[in-house]
Amino acid sequence: MSGSMGGDPTVKPVPTPDGDSQAMWDGFKEGKLLLQHCNDCGHVQYYQQAMCRICQSGNIEHREASGRGTIHSYSVVYRAPGPAFKGDVPYAVLLVDLEEGPKMISSLVGKDFDALDFDVPVKLQTVQVSDEVTLPCFELV
Amino acid sequence: MNRSLRGKVAIVGVGQSPTGRVPGRSPLDLTAEATMNALADAGMKKSEIDGVLTGSAFASSFHRFSIALSEYLNIQPSYSNTLQVSGATAGAAVNTAAAAINSGLADTVLVACGDSLLSGMTPDMAMRAMTESRDQQYEMPFGIPVANTFAMTCLRHMQQYGTTSEQLAQVAVTFREHAARTPGAQKTAPITVEDVLNSKMVTTPYHKLDCSLISDGAVALILTSAEKAYDYTDDPIFILGGGEYYSHEHIFLMPDITQTGAVQSAQKAYDMAGVTAADIDVAGIYDCFTGTVLMMLEDLGFCKKGESGPFVQDGQITYGGSIPTNTHGGMLSYAHPGIPAAWLHFAEVVRQLRGSCGERQVEGAELGLVHTLGAGFSTQATTVLGKGSTL
Repeated sequence: MSGSMGGDPTVKPVPTPDGDSQAMWDGFKEGKLLLQHCNDCGHVQYYQQAMCRICQSGNIEHREASGRGTIHSYSVVYRAPGPAFKGDVPYAVLLVDLEEGPKMISSLVGKDFDALDFDVPVKLQTVQVSDEVTLPCFELV
Repeated sequence: MNRSLRGKVAIVGVGQSPTGRVPGRSPLDLTAEATMNALADAGMKKSEIDGVLTGSAFASSFHRFSIALSEYLNIQPSYSNTLQVSGATAGAAVNTAAAAINSGLADTVLVACGDSLLSGMTPDMAMRAMTESRDQQYEMPFGIPVANTFAMTCLRHMQQYGTTSEQLAQVAVTFREHAARTPGAQKTAPITVEDVLNSKMVTTPYHKLDCSLISDGAVALILTSAEKAYDYTDDPIFILGGGEYYSHEHIFLMPDITQTGAVQSAQKAYDMAGVTAADIDVAGIYDCFTGTVLMMLEDLGFCKKGESGPFVQDGQITYGGSIPTNTHGGMLSYAHPGIPAAWLHFAEVVRQLRGSCGERQVEGAELGLVHTLGAGFSTQATTVLGKGSTL
């Protein structure tokens, strides 16, 4: 795809917060996962946007998530997606069912892959990867 | 349905460049060669093309690949676009070209794509290019290759329905058998289920041999109106139905990771064509991973939900089975030059319906289906094709 060759392949992609997502990324630095709650229809969303994805209301507010969830699915990555991740393999990527309803993509803290299974409980653990960026990862409970 | 493409447009030309490892050739060069071969196949002059639709190429810097291709061939179309719906681009481009012809935006449309993922990029660059299609905030920081999104859907499917690694492997084994009969296939040495299970783990549950190849190559199709089709060939292959579905962008917003939008895209295509899955004689199914094929066999209606594993083990996707699939060997064994890979499924199904496949011919094939998809099941495009006898 045109334009995809721009970045340095040896450097991990760093998320660049935008107007929709700045508060969430700031929250991670304080160890908080901020979900958006719609005050009109009650929908809870992880992906940050200026309107409720269900009813398009702008009357939404951030509330801190419990940080508790379960594993909806996972995969243990052995072949790094590019040189930047070669030092990390193997690592587990998770699709987490958050207690509040939304799903999110994350990764497992640690390498206890044998304990990975469907619907097992996990807990949020934010991991600082640079001065600017803290990622929401999960550990097995 | 009031409005329909059924029988209005036909594929009259198919051409390919060499595929597999083709060093020293740019994506434009490969695509231009495929186009010249498609024109020769149709007995058509390039001046008769007034529409050009392409996908984009990872190993090319052109943002407007369709425009660059037109310049390369020195043609000036009155209709053109470079489409981007990842792996579903092939199906979307064929459907869109048919719609453009049916509406009068163009008379004859070149639908082409080429790339050099293998020779034009290092393996790391190719993998990273595909990976960068994931969201840079919500997915990519966790090191989630696109392979991983498919892997997570597959693992959940295995848990939910008891699908086994051996059943996944059988898809790779079957397509390798098909590739062995196909001139120009990249991988032809026979493999066994054990070979697949013993190959290096890439991302669970996918071993190396569960994953598609990395290749170079280009494919071109030429579509024109039903009225003009017989001017070029005795065997036009008609578009009978097209359907697409785009259910989500992020894998975490996929409504159900074990059932995809192929259900909806296929239903629309079947309805337009006036057929059901049981009527289809030969299929081309996007096979980025073995498990992808299993889930599509279910969602396209070729078998019941959750029963694709035994279906494949029973030999239903090869000769003598209920739906011979990817008779060229697919992306798992014939070639996977990126976005153009799904064009190869169209090329093969057209050849099957023409009856020109020689020793790999599915006897009596009249109705075909091509299903292309991409981006962790985000994008889905189905096309039903048929010989003139099916109109």
